[in-house]
Amino acid sequence: MSESFERGLPLLDRALLRWVGRIVPSSDRLEWSRSWHAELWYMRHQCHSLKATMIADFSIGMTRDALWLRTESWRRNSIGTATLCLCSLAGLSLFAVLIGLALAGSWRSLNAYAASHVGRSLVAGTLVVFVSFATASRGHVAKNSKISWAAKVNRQLFLAWKIALVWLVAFFLSADLSVPVFMQIPNTSDFFQILDFILLALTGLRWALLDQELRCKECLHLLTTPARVGRPSRNLLEWNGSEMNCKRGHGLLSVAEMETSWCEASRWIELSRYGATGDGVPE
Amino acid sequence: MSTTPRLSHSAALILKALSLGYCFGLDVMDVTGLPSGTVYPALRRLERDDLVLSNWESEKEATASNRPARRYYEVTKAGKAAALAATERYPLLAQFVQEKPS
Repeated sequence: MSESFERGLPLLDRALLRWVGRIVPSSDRLEWSRSWHAELWYMRHQCHSLKATMIADFSIGMTRDALWLRTESWRRNSIGTATLCLCSLAGLSLFAVLIGLALAGSWRSLNAYAASHVGRSLVAGTLVVFVSFATASRGHVAKNSKISWAAKVNRQLFLAWKIALVWLVAFFLSADLSVPVFMQIPNTSDFFQILDFILLALTGLRWALLDQELRCKECLHLLTTPARVGRPSRNLLEWNGSEMNCKRGHGLLSVAEMETSWCEASRWIELSRYGATGDGVPE
Repeated sequence: MSTTPRLSHSAALILKALSLGYCFGLDVMDVTGLPSGTVYPALRRLERDDLVLSNWESEKEATASNRPARRYYEVTKAGKAAALAATERYPLLAQFVQEKPS
């Protein structure tokens, strides 16, 4: 936009644009500023009976537009990230604790209940972890990947956090579910609690392991845009399965439809290693 | 199964106005009576959902008319289908917005 049009706006408008513009993500700021300059110019020059309410309305509109761009940028950047996954699990465990608190009536009763059940749940939890790892699918083990040491540590830490949070959610949810049972049949509530805990923890851990497999090996983003490759009818002649990409371009995961002797596990292909064109990707 | 998105009343009204030829934010505000705080974020959402496309007027043409270039909005094919579905969902929508006089 030319300077003359910018100068054509009153000081108030220019100050508003400058201040509200700070909310807008830097990548969108220029475009946002240009389009609001134009809108304000037309408002000033086309509306014959300009009222103070109209200026106030435009200020609100400008701010809401800037806020929308900011929240959209947060949403775009956080969707599928490891942080969002851990925050969601932490939120779920807090929710389970709050339900427990509402059912127990006070922190003291909730503490007493948790203290009396935590030992048993720890033993059951260890068994559940053992069973989950022992029965987890080995189909997604990326044997040919050369992932950095730091990325491997981050990956294991992320899994450990997920398991801990899943355990917490399962423990408190099982406690929440057993409280009404305790009021009706006190003798069997312990049995119900441990049964609920095992079921919830098993389901949660299965999910945690599956989720781990479907994340980028470098940045832990959820892999997106699954695409089918090959034809199942030609399974013995050529590779078929699905491929998922890391949206940051670190690589893609090829998951075979059926395990064969020449393709037992899925493969993580690092695109950064082979270049954007995929030259040199092993057959 | 239909893939047409379900729009809120205000989003449907804005889409309807755009499909009737009102292509600038200020015009949409004028014709729908909606405040700018509703219109501009809704236009962004419609654009994100590929129901509308935004473009800039030619800078040369605008400068020749002694005015700044404006951002204008066009309804996409998916947007036209969504506007049609919204008109069926909100039958009174057509009464709120009249076609832009040429």
